[in-house]
Amino acid sequence: MDFAASSQGSWQGVAEATPALAIKILIAGGFGVGKTTLVGTISEIRPLHTEELMSERSIGVDDTSGVEGKVTTTVALDFGRITIREGLWLYLFGTPGQDRFWFMWDELAVGALGAVVLADTRRLQDCFPAVDYFEQRGIPFVVGVNCFDGARRHEPAKIRKALGIAPQIPIILCDVRVKESVKEVLTTLVTYAVKGVPAEPYPAH
Amino acid sequence: MTTEGPGPLIRLFGLTKGRARPVGEPFDLVAIVTTLRMPAEPTDLIPEHLEVLKVCRRPTPVADVAAQLKLPLNITRVILGDLRREGLVAIDRPRPVAQAIDERIYREVLHGLRSL
Repeated sequence: MDFAASSQGSWQGVAEATPALAIKILIAGGFGVGKTTLVGTISEIRPLHTEELMSERSIGVDDTSGVEGKVTTTVALDFGRITIREGLWLYLFGTPGQDRFWFMWDELAVGALGAVVLADTRRLQDCFPAVDYFEQRGIPFVVGVNCFDGARRHEPAKIRKALGIAPQIPIILCDVRVKESVKEVLTTLVTYAVKGVPAEPYPAH
Repeated sequence: MTTEGPGPLIRLFGLTKGRARPVGEPFDLVAIVTTLRMPAEPTDLIPEHLEVLKVCRRPTPVADVAAQLKLPLNITRVILGDLRREGLVAIDRPRPVAQAIDERIYREVLHGLRSL
């Protein structure tokens, strides 16, 4: 390990005047709605993959033994990264789809800037749990309606009514395979999360 | 979800001496880890520790460290907690998002996204 000696000092002072910041954004929605596709469309890297090991306690099975590290399974966690500049990143985390992984949501949601709830108009009810989750915790979110080929087109107003969400929450019709479309979703979310309102009206499509 | 047998998991927890949680203050998935110094006796460290110190010479978020080491998050966290206890890395405290993102950073993010 000669790098220890040879590069001594090379990383001293790397910490810049502005502290590094990683901004966390969650991509939620029902199974198969396009969360992974969205992350892959916009991420500068092939989505990174890691895993969380789950104990029986984590997945809600009664376990009073208190034995830490009693692992039964793993849950995959895929995430994408967008580098704004050195020391400033956006991280996009797709939330696990299954209900029994709610504990992972809590972990992901802490400190998140906000969330994109992806909706499929053919199965609008699939995104209800995500909407409820973010509403209850006061986490800013926008709704991205993924318009697949052949997907029924809905008026945002009707979707808003069906989801029962407040008038200020942005609803964006999008195609998660298209970079420009995903950019629009993310800029809308960032603006809504930071400013509390959409920066500019987007065309109603 | 993977369907690996217990073998790899047993090996992984060997890295952490069976612990599932890091020592000290909890830290976020995207908390920034920065190497402070190399140990006087690097041979005391397991390869995974040295790899973290190498990666984090550039400030790196926890999730990225896990991905680069190809280790599960919990295992990575235990390793990071140990390195922090030894004073080898710093892990930034979580800042409320609203405070972390000022107007300048907001503009930067928006501009960065639009020019992708």
